[in-house]
Amino acid sequence: MARSCFSKVDEYGFERPDDFDYETYEDFMSQYLIVLAKRAKKWAELIGEGKSLKRNLTVKRYVRKGIPGEHRGLVWLTVSGAEALRDEWGSDFYQKLLNGPMNQDIVDIVRTDLPRTFPDNIFFSAGENHQQQLYNILVAYAHDNHEVGYCQGLNYIAGLLLLVTKSEDTTFWLLKVLVERIFPNYYTRTMDGVITDIDVLDELIRLKIPEVHRHVASVGLPWAVITTKWFICLFAEVLPIETVLRIWDCLFYEGSKIIFRVCLTLVKRNQGSILQCKDFSSLAECFKEITRDSLVIECHDFMQSIFKVPGSLPLNLIVKLRTRLAQQRQNQMRSDRVWTWHIP
Amino acid sequence: MANRSGAQRPNGTQGKICQFKLVLLGESAVGKSSLVLRFVKGQFHEYQESTIGAAFLTQTVCLDDTTVKFEIWDTAGQERYHSLAPMYYRGAQAAIVVYDITNQDTFGRAKTWVKELQRQASPNIVIALAGNKADLANKRMVEHDEAQGYAEENGLLFMETSAKTAMNVNDIFLAIAKKLPKNEQVTGAGTSGQGRRLVESEGQQKAPGNCCK
Ligand SMILES: Nc1nc2c(ncn2[C@@H]2O[C@H](COP(=O)(O)OP(=O)(O)OP(=O)(O)O)[C@@H](O)[C@H]2O)c(=O)[nH]1
Ligand SMILES: [Mg+2]
Repeated sequence: MARSCFSKVDEYGFERPDDFDYETYEDFMSQYLIVLAKRAKKWAELIGEGKSLKRNLTVKRYVRKGIPGEHRGLVWLTVSGAEALRDEWGSDFYQKLLNGPMNQDIVDIVRTDLPRTFPDNIFFSAGENHQQQLYNILVAYAHDNHEVGYCQGLNYIAGLLLLVTKSEDTTFWLLKVLVERIFPNYYTRTMDGVITDIDVLDELIRLKIPEVHRHVASVGLPWAVITTKWFICLFAEVLPIETVLRIWDCLFYEGSKIIFRVCLTLVKRNQGSILQCKDFSSLAECFKEITRDSLVIECHDFMQSIFKVPGSLPLNLIVKLRTRLAQQRQNQMRSDRVWTWHIP
Repeated sequence: MANRSGAQRPNGTQGKICQFKLVLLGESAVGKSSLVLRFVKGQFHEYQESTIGAAFLTQTVCLDDTTVKFEIWDTAGQERYHSLAPMYYRGAQAAIVVYDITNQDTFGRAKTWVKELQRQASPNIVIALAGNKADLANKRMVEHDEAQGYAEENGLLFMETSAKTAMNVNDIFLAIAKKLPKNEQVTGAGTSGQGRRLVESEGQQKAPGNCCK
């Protein structure tokens, strides 16, 4: 892994952009490698030699500190319940889906997106294995879940899962758990879950960081414009990859509320620069900037901060807000419809 | 990327600077992002990543003594992202509705977008229709004249473009810039703070620099 600091391609196969900040990255890596070595040893003791992994406080704490790359796929499967799901449906379920009849529309739309998924990743370039595997996963999933079918964004999520697990079958089950259990209603035809959660975030920012909320409102930039991709891609293609994977470690264990912690931390830790942006374009630019600066590159520190910076965030608050805001939107839509109806 | 260097006017004239919000709409994979990438950075990627949500970019063009700064919202094309679109076209002064000349369905979808804009966007919005991928003439499914006729009926600017060869890409943005009102205060419908942006002359730390390349 140390080698990757000096290479044009990172350990997941992504070509580093021309303006990649090697200096910041190397500073960070020299520290992070020590952390990784320590965590690897701890994890080896935890799951070594036939010990089985269960959900408990120790494991949760370990997960928050980062799952070592070589164990990620397996630990995600276990702690998320994906493995139990696979046991329930049968281990040949994925293969059966692949052998079933295919809907041409779905095949076409997935095909269109294949070369457009991670074109700067060496494992996804034309003719490489991952392209065909990604195709299989997305098409199989679209046929398994008709309500979702294929939603753009899932290509990046499944693609990243595949890069980590290197297994079609594992990726399929992790994708299923994400889409159906952790983020139900995010990827459906109306994407209601995403829209509701953006409203929830808006409200959480209003409650917790009111100054920023007022400022962003006065500039006229809707939170949805800023954060839609954050929610849909679960930060894939948004934050640096190592940071995304650390976030996913927690997501698979703790569920969707982690997303709010990450969003709130990003906003709060950057409140100074956000407040300085006086117009629309500089603010929009600022929100791009904060997803790639040293604060998020330093994933270990960042991940520790998401559990402190936003303060308490009980699940029942999120549940309550979701219910209330979804209801509000429903009512709004109903009255809009009545209103349009009466226009001559 | 936004050019934040100081306001260096190439010829020292004290022109006006106008900012306009422009949105790109159209079916997935017709080439919206590619058109923007060509216009803003002069580049083309054979495999352009699919857009999720929307992407924001800015670019300035010069018209006589006026500098027009476009705030460009490049949206996602997949049908299910439709419910998010109003957020992006609300308060927009201009829109480019894109279809792919090799795909008849995308032209139908473009017409639906035009209808929606005429009904829901600001009443004075300038709409341009772009028949993209014009370099693929041998796979053409939408005739130039058909689209031209439709555009005329609906009062749209129309050009066939190619993000790949750069054909008509700058031209379509320029044509829009020309058609936009640059004198009166532009009053935007919709959300607070948008559409009003008409910045007079320099002195602003954010004045776009060196736009006349
Ligand atoms: N031959 C040709 N290909 C083009 C042209 N413009 C875009 N493409 C290709 O068409 C594909 C889709 O282009 P995008 O710009 O990503 O399309 P989009 O409309 O932004 O798609 P979404 O983001 O999914 O809504 C890419 O692979 C481009 O390389 C063009 O003018 N000619
Ligand atoms: Mg795009």
